[in-house]
Amino acid sequence: MSRNKVFAFVLDHLIWFVLLLVWFFFIIYIPGYLSINNAINILLHASVLGLLTIGQAIVLLTGNFDLSAEGTVSLLTVLAAYLMLPYREMNFAQAGGIGWQLHPFIVIPIMLIIGIFIGWLNGLMISRLRMNNFIVTLAMQLFLRGIAMVISMGAIMPGTPALFNWLGGGRIATIPISVVFTLLLYVLFSYILKNTSFGRRLYAVGGNKDAARASGFSPKRYVTLAYILSGFMAALASWMLLGRLEASIPNLGQGFTLETVAAAVIGGVALTGGAGSIGGAFAGVLLLSLIDHGLNLMQVDPFFINAVRGAIILIALFIEAQKLRFKPGVTRRKASAAPTGQD
Amino acid sequence: MEVNTSNMILEMKDVSKAFPGVQALSDISISVVEGEIHGLVGKNGAGKSTLMAILMGIQQSDTGSISISGRTFTTMSPQQALDAGIAYVPQRINMLGSLSVAENILAGEMPTNRFGFINWREVYRDAENRLSQLGLKLDVRSRVEGLSVVEQTMLVIAKAMFSNARLIILDEPTAALPRSEIDRLFGFVRNLKNKGVAFIYISHHLEEVFEICDQVTILRNGFLVATQPVASLDTPSLIRLMVGEDVKEFERTLPPHPEVDQPVLTVKDLVRRGHYENVNLTIGKGEVVGLAGLEGSGAAALAMGLFGLDRTGLGSVTINGKSFQASEPEQAFRQGVAYLPQDRYQYGLIGIRPVRENITYPILNRLTRLFGLVRSDKEKQIVQDYIDKLGIITPSMEQLASLLSGGNQQKVVFAKLASISPSVLLLHEPTQGIDVQAKIDIYRIVLELSQQGVAILIISSEVRELLGICDRILVMYQGKITQEFKVGDPLTTPHDILLAIEGGAYVAE
Repeated sequence: MSRNKVFAFVLDHLIWFVLLLVWFFFIIYIPGYLSINNAINILLHASVLGLLTIGQAIVLLTGNFDLSAEGTVSLLTVLAAYLMLPYREMNFAQAGGIGWQLHPFIVIPIMLIIGIFIGWLNGLMISRLRMNNFIVTLAMQLFLRGIAMVISMGAIMPGTPALFNWLGGGRIATIPISVVFTLLLYVLFSYILKNTSFGRRLYAVGGNKDAARASGFSPKRYVTLAYILSGFMAALASWMLLGRLEASIPNLGQGFTLETVAAAVIGGVALTGGAGSIGGAFAGVLLLSLIDHGLNLMQVDPFFINAVRGAIILIALFIEAQKLRFKPGVTRRKASAAPTGQD
Repeated sequence: MEVNTSNMILEMKDVSKAFPGVQALSDISISVVEGEIHGLVGKNGAGKSTLMAILMGIQQSDTGSISISGRTFTTMSPQQALDAGIAYVPQRINMLGSLSVAENILAGEMPTNRFGFINWREVYRDAENRLSQLGLKLDVRSRVEGLSVVEQTMLVIAKAMFSNARLIILDEPTAALPRSEIDRLFGFVRNLKNKGVAFIYISHHLEEVFEICDQVTILRNGFLVATQPVASLDTPSLIRLMVGEDVKEFERTLPPHPEVDQPVLTVKDLVRRGHYENVNLTIGKGEVVGLAGLEGSGAAALAMGLFGLDRTGLGSVTINGKSFQASEPEQAFRQGVAYLPQDRYQYGLIGIRPVRENITYPILNRLTRLFGLVRSDKEKQIVQDYIDKLGIITPSMEQLASLLSGGNQQKVVFAKLASISPSVLLLHEPTQGIDVQAKIDIYRIVLELSQQGVAILIISSEVRELLGICDRILVMYQGKITQEFKVGDPLTTPHDILLAIEGGAYVAE
């Protein structure tokens, strides 16, 4: 490999080097940090965020945002608990469900269908009705969280059935099922985006909508599909999260939006669309989880952890902006746009 | 206003300007007197824009001087040009559209009352007064974006007048305007001319030059050909001066095709109001047909319409005998029509994706097996094939498309279109902005595709180019196909074609 290629390789995989660096830092500063248990804890921490980040990354690749996923998580965790739990009067901010006690095998498909429906609705408004993606999904988030509050009346609904909790809380030997599940999905989506015509077109739409259309496929269709996938992933994340907590908590999911966008961007997904990889997004998820978990172990003030997160996101954006400078061709500005007076 | 002893407003002397690899202007001298409307004509690339950029202080000339109302500059900044009274009215007007006419006129100097609030009654009265001094009637309360194109142009001219402009450059002010609006604009311009304002009038529409200009300066390839009173010229002689005697027919490397025996694309009575009317054309198998016309002639709208990027009008289009209809490029591809866009950055390439992906986007469906998995071995083979055949110079097929040179990018777009094996290929300015060698390569590719039986329509503003590669050339003027030329026919000369492009056939009648 020539020097240039090494440089390009490091630039493209910078996030993995940063990840290693941070990991070494914790190994040095936290006694007994290097253990299987700790590693599993970090991955466990990363699994729900990981699922949501897959959806976010796919939407970002088309050049759009999905701010609604955390609202979907709020709604679906509350709704699932509501449908599965026996009826109970509210007492000390705890309550039961509506009393139908639906079987998890019915509730889970309902969650997935609602997730898909929300995604489809987002996609419809953004691509067909040309409404602004940022505001549409932000409003959707508010709407969904509002409905969740109406259903739960602000109460915690504990005691979800074991069959349901399998995905979020189950383990095979010591390995959490949720970790394996998330890793598998990352492998799957990484493969799909790289090697299928669907993935190719997703990138194309984010890269240049007009050219994508002139290449014979509909950008609208692919933007809608991206939102549908994001909604689906949010439903899976809701299932996992509720299963882990074994209780629905009002406002569950709050704050996930920024974290998913941050993870994807840290991992190299371009906010303008068309560039980045699911593998990179996974690295972003790991980095955020690693830092959260490590600083917690160091008993750093939780408010300070937030400051660190913010700083990391800013640094990631800074690096993304610098990358463009080193790779001049990545900009989409056309050279001929500036008037030269040469006719 | 200060009265000058001489009534000379502008005198540019021996102005030259070189860009890397091009001598854009060579010793151009031009002078304009008070109350004169001075036409400036020349083909694309003749140097009109560069000359005007120098006059506006946007670019500096290498040699020569500019005198404006007696003051002489060798270098000039845009601000100095403005102060000296030079104003420019662009083809596409860019104003604060959501503000009112009055606000635009008084921008920055709004009368206020003693509390510092804007005195609106005063604003409107003042604006109305100023406009009426110029003999212009506009509703000063209406928003600028609500004005017609001509009214906006006149408003820009008026604004220039308020800042004491003495020489106003009008750059293609009438492109795509109906006749009644042109009359309104010309009335206003003549009115100002009588007050002593001078104009430089740039236009491709020669009949307008004859109508409104006193003098006309002709540029060709950066040289000044002549400055003459308009009265001493007619359209054919003006075109001859613009085109020069150096235009010779280009040798076609292939013999021309025989008469159309097997029509591939047939367009019958296609009408789209405001864009084109009664378009009839047939392109045979392996035939290369040129379509020439000014901007707004309808040629571009026709091609984009056929490809489904724009609306098509009413009428019938058939491809290989089958009725054709496409409201999206997807459908056009399926029926065998491909389109090479004029702006490859917008419609041609996805710059941040590799060359390989760019070439195979339209054929992904054919390259996939179960679950939409792309067969990468087959894909690489196809892409490598095109890279070799079209001579695309790239370090690898994984190179981002935006990093290639213009000519190679254009070849990538060709490869992409060729990959669907189209029956009809529409090319819109296929060699714009690419170097000479790449142009020759592109001509070779076009001829090869035609030999494979593809029916090809080329829209180009380069008449030489069309003469070099086409079997026939159609000329479109104001939405109609007005003339047809057979290439190789001794009666087909570049002059006649240019004449037809400029609407000369009508003038001559």
